[in-house]
Amino acid sequence: MNIDALYLVQLTLNGLMLGLLYALIAAGLSLIFGVMEIINFAHGELLMLGAYAMAFVLPVVGLLYWPALVAAVVGVMLAGLLIYEVLLAQLKPEEFERSILITLGLSIVLIHTMQLLFTATPRLVDTQYGFDGIEIGSIRITWTRVIGAGAAVGAFAGLYLVLHHTQFGRAMRAIAQNREAALMVGIRPRSVARNAVTLAAGLCGLAGAAISPIQLVTPYMGQFLIFKAFALVIIGGLGNIPGAIVAALVLGLIESLIGGFFEIVWQEAAVFVIMILVLFLRPDGLFKQGGMRVG
Amino acid sequence: MSAILDVRDLRKAYAGVSALDGISFAVEAGSITGLIGPNGSGKSTAIDCISGFQKLDGGRVVLADADITGRSPHLIARAGLTRTFQTVRIYERLSLRDNLAIATQQFDPATWIDELLRTRRYREAVAAGDSRARELVALVGLERYWDIETGVLSYGQKKLVALAAALMPRPRIVVLDEPVAGVNPTRIREIEAALASLNRAGETFLIVEHNVEFITSLCHRVIVLEEGRKLAEGTSAEIHADSRVLEAYLGTTSEIAAAEMRATA
Amino acid sequence: MRQLALALVVALAFAALPLLTTSNYIVGVGVSALIFTVAAAALNLIYGYTGLLSFAQLGFWGVGGYASALTVVSFGGSFWWGVIWAAAINAMLAILIGFPMLRTSRHAFVIGSLTFALLATLVARDWVDLTRGPLGIPNLPPPSAFGIAFDTTAKFYWIAWAFSVAMLALLYALCSSRIGRTLIAIRQNEDLVRAQGISPTPYKLSAFTISAAVTGAAGGVYSFHLGIIDPTFLDFYYMQTFLIIVIIGGTGSFWGVLASGIVLSALPEALRFSADFRMIIYGAILVLAMFVMPGGVAGWFRDRAIARQREALG
Repeated sequence: MNIDALYLVQLTLNGLMLGLLYALIAAGLSLIFGVMEIINFAHGELLMLGAYAMAFVLPVVGLLYWPALVAAVVGVMLAGLLIYEVLLAQLKPEEFERSILITLGLSIVLIHTMQLLFTATPRLVDTQYGFDGIEIGSIRITWTRVIGAGAAVGAFAGLYLVLHHTQFGRAMRAIAQNREAALMVGIRPRSVARNAVTLAAGLCGLAGAAISPIQLVTPYMGQFLIFKAFALVIIGGLGNIPGAIVAALVLGLIESLIGGFFEIVWQEAAVFVIMILVLFLRPDGLFKQGGMRVG
Repeated sequence: MSAILDVRDLRKAYAGVSALDGISFAVEAGSITGLIGPNGSGKSTAIDCISGFQKLDGGRVVLADADITGRSPHLIARAGLTRTFQTVRIYERLSLRDNLAIATQQFDPATWIDELLRTRRYREAVAAGDSRARELVALVGLERYWDIETGVLSYGQKKLVALAAALMPRPRIVVLDEPVAGVNPTRIREIEAALASLNRAGETFLIVEHNVEFITSLCHRVIVLEEGRKLAEGTSAEIHADSRVLEAYLGTTSEIAAAEMRATA
Repeated sequence: MRQLALALVVALAFAALPLLTTSNYIVGVGVSALIFTVAAAALNLIYGYTGLLSFAQLGFWGVGGYASALTVVSFGGSFWWGVIWAAAINAMLAILIGFPMLRTSRHAFVIGSLTFALLATLVARDWVDLTRGPLGIPNLPPPSAFGIAFDTTAKFYWIAWAFSVAMLALLYALCSSRIGRTLIAIRQNEDLVRAQGISPTPYKLSAFTISAAVTGAAGGVYSFHLGIIDPTFLDFYYMQTFLIIVIIGGTGSFWGVLASGIVLSALPEALRFSADFRMIIYGAILVLAMFVMPGGVAGWFRDRAIARQREALG
């Protein structure tokens, strides 16, 4: 019985960390959708860029984790800003399909450029922590995972503070809840959208940087994760950030538990099956659609 | 004359605020009836609910003895109630002819098999549709644009297209949602003349408008709403003289207010 | 009418391709061009005409490829039955998933369609009992009929040609009919369509189902051209190809997509870039097209025609 309980705890911890990763991606997607009503197909590539940034900066700073992380996040935020200004700024909320195709094109260009420049060979990223970790009984967690999870939690706390206690954060919530009303009181959609994209990029960059020491870095790594993030955003309700986060955490747990007891195929398919079920039963998502109501 | 449209005790609330608070009125067949009221009086909500684009919380809508309460918009249209929209809706990328052809498509007997085999039923349906369309196009003076994409037309011309489309299937009643809002005065007179002419030919209209002058010169009967309730009902002259109506529009009762009301556009 | 006559001439010209060259490679490119054009035309029906961006096409393509392969290999049927099953199964799938998906918002529809495609990929890769997993089903036998084996690329080309002409004729009949016009209207203004007595849902579902069946059939033919079916058949690359053909040709333009399909399928082969470079160009074209020519080539011609009309009217 002891071993089973520990196995469960291990699975749960893994699941939570996986969920935090999904949540970082899904929250950013949901934020962008809430503010601009577009789905960013290149979101996974922002994560990939964060991972590669981490891979390149770490050797330069002597494998120190935190400076590299900050550099990676800032780098991806700048990339997000650039993407917004060049590609997304002129998009109107009704141009949903056009936004998909633009970001899809961007995604293709990013993936294949990285592949052209750096080949598809997976990279191993090493940090100052190496493979050290903490041990609780027979459960072992590496520092990189713990710190990654901690950084994610910190990012969500920061996100909450930004959305509720800063002007530009409140502006984002206003636009997501009721675009016309927000415009009427003088909120400027372009600067809000710019902030939202940059912020979302930062979350993704953090996710990429955090998993780079844990998982192999390849140009396609964002692709595997992004489709699950899309599904999570739908399940949580489009534009509903807390919904997406909750869905992400739950999915992480479900996937980890399924993976621990059943075949891999079910683990992968889980999110999509859930999404289809949700679409059948509650077409607007599990939580109320639109607007970033927290709690 | 009997009532072609009979609405009873319409009720609708949004988040605790009641937009429609028990409105009842009837539209006589062959009449032009106006529905006016200050902003927030419930005019748009009322016709959205009548035409099926919003759900009523209570009340009944009867169209020529058929209860259409709560039906989907397309079924209400098939029952004989067509409408136009406040923000002019037409198919901008289709020609004028196609715009009008679609408006009557559901009402002719030809199926896709008829079309595939080019049966006589199909050819006759198309010919009938085209001939009715040409009539209406001539009435609104847009013959030059028969094969042209309606996207190139001016705002006022697009409103005429929307009007023609609503008339294509020979409906029992046409509901017009602010037909002259944002239209220049010359065009307004054109639209007024077209509507009067159509009415003489037997068409029934329910017109929602802000432009009180337009309504009073065109309509036989006028219904005034305020804050979700019917305030007054009568001929244009009666409405103009009604102090409650003047007060609702401007908060005062005076000749100046009456004049201002006439000038409201 | 003139368009149809021209199309007939072009079609006959295409039939002659294997007679004009002995290169199997070129004929093979011809097969791809024809089949991809059919799939793109089907995508045009659901996206260009009806306005629903459906990534599910990739799933239908893959299911079609596997359906025809399995019909022959596991169930002993002929290639011809395989293609029919490919169409039928996808039609049923489309009705099944179309119902719930069409009730949701535009956004949820797009993502739901994407999810279906991904699920199809997962099934292809992981449901080994059915699909033989990552190894796939190799050595698909060439089709045969009336004792003739279509075992050369040239002979297979004529199957692809006949198939494409038939499918494109079907789609043309649909797109140029009142149904096609109604789909265009639905795309532009669904509420107006309702106000005119038409219920949009049956139209959307029909367009979705027909495009699924055609795409599935195309996949069913293509898998035999490749001679092998495996999970890479569901690679996103195919979806991107179909999308780019539709967008460059012009959404909602039947002839535009047709021309675009032939040209864009043949062009990359002619240019012989590395795979990555080709994809970068694809992506860049996609982005550029969205800014410079959102209506595609056909849309650009249309805009000019309208500008001329405007001038003429004064």
